[in-house]
Amino acid sequence: MEAAIVFYGLSFFMTVLSLGVLFNPNPIMSALYLVLTMIGVSLVFFMLDAGFLAGVQLIVYAGAVLVLFVMVIMLFDLKREVYTFSRGFFTRLLKVFTGVVFLIILVKSFFLVPETKELLNSSTQMTTKNLAGLLFTEYIFVFELLGLLLLAVAIGAVALSRIKGGTHAE
Amino acid sequence: MGSDIVEISINAAKALAIFLMMVQIVPMLVWVERRGSAFIQNRFGPNRIGPLGLMQLIADAVKFLFKEEFLPDKKRRLLFLAAPIIALIPGAVAFGAIPLSVPIHVEIFEFLGQSWGPYRFAFQSVELGIGIVFVLGISSLAAYSILLAGWSSSNKYSLFGALRASAQMISYELALGLSLVGILLIYNSFDFAEIIAQQQGSLAFQFLGKDIVWSFLPNWGIFYQPLGFVLFFVAVFAEANRLPFDLPEAESELVAGYHTEYGGFKMNMFYIGEYGHMLVSSALLVTFYFGGYNIPFVTPDQVLAGVESFLGLSSTGSSVATAFLLHGVFLVKVLIFLWVFIWVRWTLPRFRYDQLMDLGWKTMLPWALANTILTAIIVFIFRTQWV
Repeated sequence: MEAAIVFYGLSFFMTVLSLGVLFNPNPIMSALYLVLTMIGVSLVFFMLDAGFLAGVQLIVYAGAVLVLFVMVIMLFDLKREVYTFSRGFFTRLLKVFTGVVFLIILVKSFFLVPETKELLNSSTQMTTKNLAGLLFTEYIFVFELLGLLLLAVAIGAVALSRIKGGTHAE
Repeated sequence: MGSDIVEISINAAKALAIFLMMVQIVPMLVWVERRGSAFIQNRFGPNRIGPLGLMQLIADAVKFLFKEEFLPDKKRRLLFLAAPIIALIPGAVAFGAIPLSVPIHVEIFEFLGQSWGPYRFAFQSVELGIGIVFVLGISSLAAYSILLAGWSSSNKYSLFGALRASAQMISYELALGLSLVGILLIYNSFDFAEIIAQQQGSLAFQFLGKDIVWSFLPNWGIFYQPLGFVLFFVAVFAEANRLPFDLPEAESELVAGYHTEYGGFKMNMFYIGEYGHMLVSSALLVTFYFGGYNIPFVTPDQVLAGVESFLGLSSTGSSVATAFLLHGVFLVKVLIFLWVFIWVRWTLPRFRYDQLMDLGWKTMLPWALANTILTAIIVFIFRTQWV
């Protein structure tokens, strides 16, 4: 009963905060709303007895990635990038594509609910050891693929910074 | 929280007491810092008010409370006011998850015509199985108070201080986390209490399936992870934004960095946050590398037996006495590290910004990675039964 109250309260606040991310005109405020949303996600993990995931969510997303977001937004004058990324055929196509992908994920996740309930009711404890076992056996391919993606992003960032003038290069 | 009214109220009082402990250690540390810096620099320091200048603490507190409150123009009011409060949270919450002594066991007793107990009170605000991940996660949120303070002040110096601080904290967080992996591999746990429990008595380890005991050294983490200790030690200095890593508030360049626009009690809250960070860092150093609340060469069970036979108390009384005795040991160790923090601040000069980044990314990160891999290999070799 208490768990349900806390969960629905958290979900309500997270929904409000994520709407804040979308509709706040100021990019810094928007990023700060995202920070609060991430902390909320971490609390949800914590409520589900997934303490390790909750902690990692805090360390990686709220503590590192979003600090970088906020810092970069504060550091740079992004008017030109905003202009570039809000016009053009390719950008629009990308937006529609991302929207469709997220819609598919959302719809799919509704069908996953019975499976998740089964997992919750089963007696397997979500310990760090189990998590590591799953990551390095069953999901090793996806895991390595994600690592490859991160490597590509890192190389791309280095390549961008090597161009004279960075993203402002003519 | 607890099953009945006694347990709930004691747990609540305990959480409050631990929070107050963190807040109350700040004025004393300020005094130690001022007198200690004077001692190191061959000056007198504040010595006029009260014995040894101790009443200076109260004078400072009164000054902080009664200073005129000023708010800069063009600021974001809510964020400007929220930043000092956010600065308090990481230290206070993280400190609550660190065990400060052995748990107290209370036997069944009669009170108000009812029988209560038995109880077990942990000597910390909250017991978490994944304590280390929780403390690191909460501590990593400390960057936001500085970022918010710098940005909402609408002052160029503040903003530069905030940007420097966040870049620095992210750079050193990697080395901080990685230097701990060695400890996690050796002790095989995320739980503080379990890590401390494995550091009892004299140095003992398994080598190729044989038990080896070195009775001339205590069983502390620093003897297993000397490199990890050095890296962690340096990284917590950078995370706490203390000299030699205090570029966020470099006076010669940035006036006072992110808290330039703050005065009175709001600035004091940033101080409490910084000293809270020092306190948590010292407690973590003691917990991981110096045996936590263990007395060297002696296990807590031996202490309990000694207290029982020496003081002749009941089992509840000796449990309480042992917990407070070991808590005293923990506090002494933590205070030594707090003094090291102050000592280093008044001894070393500040890094240049490029030196800071070089140290973080090109020196500490590779060494931390090497330490992790080396520890993993050694643990594998030592723990395997090679026939």
